[in-house]
Amino acid sequence: MTVLRAILFVPEVLVVLASPPLLMSVIAKTKAWFGGRVGPPWLQPYFDIHKLIQKNAVYSKTTTWIFRAGPIISLASLLTATTLVPVLSDDSLLGFPGDVILLAYLLALGRMFTVLAAMDTGSSFEGMGASREVTFGAMSEPALFLSFVVMAVASKSLRLSEMIGPSLIPGWQVAGPAVILVVGALLVVLLTETCRVPVDDPATHLELTMIHEVMVLDHSGPEFACITYGAALKFALLGSIVVHAAIPHGGWLAWLNAPLRMLELGGLALLIGIIESVTARFRLNRVPMLLAGATVLSAIALVLVLMRRTV
Amino acid sequence: MTPVLTSLALLAIGATMSLVLVRVPRLALVIVMLIVFVASVLVAINAGDVLLRASSRGPYEVAWPLSLGTVRLSIDGLSAWFLMTIGVLAACVAVYSVPHMSAAAGREPVCVFCAFFCLLLASLIILVCAADAVLFLIGWEAMTLAAFFLVAFHHERRDVRRGAWMYLVATHIGTALFVLPLFAIMFARTGTTAFSSFAGAVGSGDRTTLVTLFALGLAGFGTKAGFMPMHVWLPAAHPVAPTPVSALLSGVVVKTGIYGFLRLLSWLPPLPLVCGEVLLLVGIVSGVMGVLYALAQHDLKRLLAYHTVENMGIIALGIAVGMLGEAANQPAVAVLGYAGALLHVTNHALFKGLLFMSAGAVLHGSGTGEIDRLGGLARKTPVNAVMFLIGAVAICGLPPLNGFLSEWIIYGSLLGGSILGIGVSGGLPGVAVAALALMGGLALACFTKAFGVVFLGEPRDASLCTRKTPAGMKIAMAVLGLSCILIGVLPGLWIPLVQLAAGELANVPHGEVNMRIETVLAPAIKLSGMAVVFVVAVSGLIAIRRLVRLRAACSNVEVTPTVATWGCGYTRPTPRMQYTASSFAAHLVTTFRSLLWPERAILAPSGSFPGASHLETHAPDIAEHDVFEPIFRGVDRLYSAVRAVSWRGEQGSPVVSESAALHRRGPIRTLIDGMVGALRRGSIQVRLLFIVLTLVAMFAIEAISPVDRAHSATGQDSQHTLDVGADK
Repeated sequence: MTVLRAILFVPEVLVVLASPPLLMSVIAKTKAWFGGRVGPPWLQPYFDIHKLIQKNAVYSKTTTWIFRAGPIISLASLLTATTLVPVLSDDSLLGFPGDVILLAYLLALGRMFTVLAAMDTGSSFEGMGASREVTFGAMSEPALFLSFVVMAVASKSLRLSEMIGPSLIPGWQVAGPAVILVVGALLVVLLTETCRVPVDDPATHLELTMIHEVMVLDHSGPEFACITYGAALKFALLGSIVVHAAIPHGGWLAWLNAPLRMLELGGLALLIGIIESVTARFRLNRVPMLLAGATVLSAIALVLVLMRRTV
Repeated sequence: MTPVLTSLALLAIGATMSLVLVRVPRLALVIVMLIVFVASVLVAINAGDVLLRASSRGPYEVAWPLSLGTVRLSIDGLSAWFLMTIGVLAACVAVYSVPHMSAAAGREPVCVFCAFFCLLLASLIILVCAADAVLFLIGWEAMTLAAFFLVAFHHERRDVRRGAWMYLVATHIGTALFVLPLFAIMFARTGTTAFSSFAGAVGSGDRTTLVTLFALGLAGFGTKAGFMPMHVWLPAAHPVAPTPVSALLSGVVVKTGIYGFLRLLSWLPPLPLVCGEVLLLVGIVSGVMGVLYALAQHDLKRLLAYHTVENMGIIALGIAVGMLGEAANQPAVAVLGYAGALLHVTNHALFKGLLFMSAGAVLHGSGTGEIDRLGGLARKTPVNAVMFLIGAVAICGLPPLNGFLSEWIIYGSLLGGSILGIGVSGGLPGVAVAALALMGGLALACFTKAFGVVFLGEPRDASLCTRKTPAGMKIAMAVLGLSCILIGVLPGLWIPLVQLAAGELANVPHGEVNMRIETVLAPAIKLSGMAVVFVVAVSGLIAIRRLVRLRAACSNVEVTPTVATWGCGYTRPTPRMQYTASSFAAHLVTTFRSLLWPERAILAPSGSFPGASHLETHAPDIAEHDVFEPIFRGVDRLYSAVRAVSWRGEQGSPVVSESAALHRRGPIRTLIDGMVGALRRGSIQVRLLFIVLTLVAMFAIEAISPVDRAHSATGQDSQHTLDVGADK
């Protein structure tokens, strides 16, 4: 860790933790523009979180300590995962070989406790959301991990910051098509994990169409603030991985890199907003096919990367 | 070696005590389980000592009156690892058995249970420490029989008998058809039964023998370990056995199959690449199909049994990567693969034992293991719920518990294999990574289903009343839960223990193993750091939450009382509106229906005022119903065709009597039928007559043949002396 890195550590962490709700408002503004509306204010997500923290929480008689612990554990796992993902710079805060597996399983830990908190209410709505979430989560794991394999083979490293860092530039030159396919697969995984259209519609509250929204239906007050912020943070983390894999920088200076990465994340949020506005939500039977398609994309990328290496 | 012998002696004493104290079963239970606890702790400490000092013990040798083999015990790294697993799990199960069995002390033969428990443990210790083929087989058979009698504890029930018979038949088919020929080949190659001479008996050029031995080992030891499609006995035997027996079965008995396979690998030079690839495929199929079948189950223990199949698949993946690394001459991949597999052996024993004990506590408390009838147990048995949650998080491989550690190492070895291009130039390990990820996701679905439906929500069957979990059960579960957490949070303490065994398997010298383990130790210590970060994050968030609540209380915001869950406008929500286990898993089962072939029997509501309707879903095991059942039915039909006379001495089955009506029954046929009929009727004089006739026939043959013997007498005699000389 250089001196510059040590000095920039605290501001970087603060910016990384403070910016995710801004990405949410970028998506909201994009969708509003497509709908001919002005949309909510840019700082609306922050106002929402502030409002929720001040509210009182209502608990159900059926729930146990798991209902109260679920949002806390899922947000804690996301905060732990933040130290592993390079967001604004090319290096993550606490990376090590094999941290990419830990990242994926931390997200799974968050998912498990969100699902258990949903089952804790004893309501059929939350059970429905929980059932859908575990189904789509299970099917998106192979796509995610195959992408990791491709990036690991391309960069010959098991460290996330090296897999998607400047070492991917020679990887792009050598196995360009494979990396494009991987970025496509990761985009589909991003849409699934952050529950965006076409997998789930975050704006609606109809039981036929919800996955994530219905799982957290009973949470209120500060717990719901945890959940809202956690969803935004998850989007920022997975979005960072997609952005770093798609647009590798060359190890530039920090003052140039950081704003550029913020702009790229904003561009990704814009892209997601566009996708949400022009696509309709898939029928639930079709979502496994979408995820299988992402897995196939990653598998083709793996074949390309392995062939390229032997040839 | 003394601790092992002491514990064997203690177990022998325990077995006799349990038979002596038949009149006072509760006292017998406590005393014998105490003896078992002491014996297993002794064995575990000894094994831990061997692993820490990285030095083998033995061999300890005693001659015995059998013509083949000797009693030779030795503890090397591999034996020590499995011995430690056996010791730790058996100690916890012994503590668990006391409250579990004392409820049944008056009605059931608890002393028989204790006796066979001691026998099982003793045979496991002998099996794992054996350095001689005959001793190994004796331990293997004793373990099978002891486990059979333990599984058939509630033998009045039909499904228990069926499960026990399936276990016995499956193990014996595996042993007779595959394991015995394996040892026979090794004996023929080396001429002795000592394991030390087996190592290096087959050269690396002899490809046919290597592949044959690998295939025999995979089929024979794989039946015990529960690889697909030989796993059919697991979901039949585990649910019907008493809980301590299920925990031991899943925890250590299936691991002896893995031990046998690893022992075979340690004798052979690096096998051809195709063997590792076959094992990788077996691991992928076992893992994915195992967890899919688990998703479709309605019974808690059967679900856990299928998860054992899945975890054996994961262990097979680790072993396969080790084999691939050996074949491609990449010691880093080999050591990591074997280390991951061995760590998963212990981790699985710990968290599966915990889960089975917790399921047993549910059974003990509520009287049923049917998931769809339970619910809301977290409020009635909170400690049991926490234990099941720890086991569930561990088995899904989630950080910071121990399941994540072994899966992480296996992932590392697979990714390393892919980067280095081993196995279809790196493609097969890549596919294995995707399969392992799918297994993890499906396991998460399955355990959120199991935990969520059993422990959370409202009770689905109001007629069930719940008893509290006894303290002894809680203590045993707490020890296992604590070990799961400790291994996960402090991996740096545990990984060095495995280097002795991993080095032996990968045929890598000690110093190099050290170096390879170091490469995974540094990131593993970072894992502890990440666990610390996680705990800090959790406590920070809890502190903020408390602060917010305090501030709200101070500013006198009205605290709303807890109300019933909002039912979206329904004024009278009932517990039956909750998601059941089947509905939770329905989406996944339907998505994978081409692999699972689920069956549905539905009586749909019809008409404007529908009456009672009915839906039943099953996922019958393909291996059981479409592979083995037709085979056994065919064998049964073959035997029925051979059987000429029925039990009561009547003439023949319908097929035979038909032909008898059409054709004349000649004198030979009548004679044979008469003899067989006389034998079946069982009069003692007839049987004595048959014995005399057989002896006369044998002497006649002996009398005739020395004419041939005399011609080649010299050649045969010298051969005979040569064998005698080699034996001495």
